[in-house]
Amino acid sequence: MEDEFFGEKSFQHYCAEFIKHSQQIGDGWEWKTAKDCSDGYMCKTQFQIKNGTTTSHRGTPASVHTCLPTEENLELTVDDSEVMESAAASQVIKYEYHVVYSCSYQVPVLYFRASFLDGRPLALKDIWEGVHECYKTRLLQGPWDTITQQEHPILGQPFFVLHPCKTNEFMTAVLKNPQKINRSPAGPEAAA
Amino acid sequence: MTDDKDVLRDVWFGRIPTCFTLYQDEITEREAEPYYLLLPRVSYLTLVTDKVKKHFQKAMRQEDVSEIWFEYEGTPLKWHYPIGLLFDLLASSSALPWNITVHFKSFPEKDLLHCPSKDAVEAHFMSCMKEADALKHKSQVINEMQKKDHKQLWMGLQNDRFDQFWAINRKLMEYPPEENGFRYIPFRIYQTTTERPFIQKLFRPVAADGQLHTLGDLLKEVCPSAVTAEDGEKKNQVMIHGIEPMLETPLQWLSEHLSYPDNFLHISIVPQSTD
Repeated sequence: MEDEFFGEKSFQHYCAEFIKHSQQIGDGWEWKTAKDCSDGYMCKTQFQIKNGTTTSHRGTPASVHTCLPTEENLELTVDDSEVMESAAASQVIKYEYHVVYSCSYQVPVLYFRASFLDGRPLALKDIWEGVHECYKTRLLQGPWDTITQQEHPILGQPFFVLHPCKTNEFMTAVLKNPQKINRSPAGPEAAA
Repeated sequence: MTDDKDVLRDVWFGRIPTCFTLYQDEITEREAEPYYLLLPRVSYLTLVTDKVKKHFQKAMRQEDVSEIWFEYEGTPLKWHYPIGLLFDLLASSSALPWNITVHFKSFPEKDLLHCPSKDAVEAHFMSCMKEADALKHKSQVINEMQKKDHKQLWMGLQNDRFDQFWAINRKLMEYPPEENGFRYIPFRIYQTTTERPFIQKLFRPVAADGQLHTLGDLLKEVCPSAVTAEDGEKKNQVMIHGIEPMLETPLQWLSEHLSYPDNFLHISIVPQSTD
């Protein structure tokens, strides 16, 4: 049974390397072991605020970027002068990214979900609308093949998934356009 | 002697008598009677409950109706699991009919996937079929098929057409003559006692020495706690399509004959029934 498990062992090895590097640059990725201890996944939590500032879960502010999808999705008509503390809280979006190994496809798969601080989740429509311009055309051609809602294989909860067939395609685009992608760092492409 | 092909028909045409009752807190304009329906074991809830939805919506105001969802004894039912799996896992020890509660509000976002249309069911179904073939044939058979073949698989399921479905699905059940079975067996093992929704691992149907692996071999390898009897007493039932296959059954045979239309063996481990 050697060659089967080589794939998953490799994955865990590379995750350990990835996380070590992430810790060195303060990027927030961690390893989580499944409750029954047989496997696990990498995860990272990130917050995105309405006025465009992004922070990692440890509260270290990153540089200010314009977050393209936020205003449109949240349908805000708020004057900056009218923004109160409580209103600001409902405009913070929490993104969770999980990298889980698929033994069927022998590739890592990106699972993610987004919610407001009060726990209200973002809908698939909001996620599709939040996708960076680079991919919008491709996404609209086959939305159901690209980002779909699925059950997390370890936690059993609804997450959005970047279809494993598309991992290679998206990775190629990301590697070709690093500057464009970095403009909206909280989107799923940034995690990929 | 029953032909193996008859097993395919028996599996496809399995039904569960179900009684749908509207949740008592839903706001109704008139009395909503319970609705009875025979549910196909191999299909999905949101695919076969249009009549249920229409029946209850007739008793409600349009504005009180949002996305339908189903629940059994407090547990939201995952529409993306085949109906037979849900029943075996959650209700097989209870008396028939299966009593399901219908909801139109307070969708449980943390537990259930949304099902905005039949397209979502089709996408999910095809996604499972593709994953099964990735395991069985490195995706070669399903990728060689034309789009119309994929459509035929879906339409066969949606319209309950056994012949239409199997005309294409039989290709997914073949393997090279020099092999003794598929590359890996597509299976998922479910238990209500774990947080993890299911166990899925790579498992070959044939051992290195050429012996066919059995259902018992699979369980011993991936889920040993579920079947080993410490004191000699059988703790659990291993159920597929409402029956307990013998643990000596070759896994390759089970995969070819007792898979669901998505080509996965969905196996339930439930506590031994007392009656």
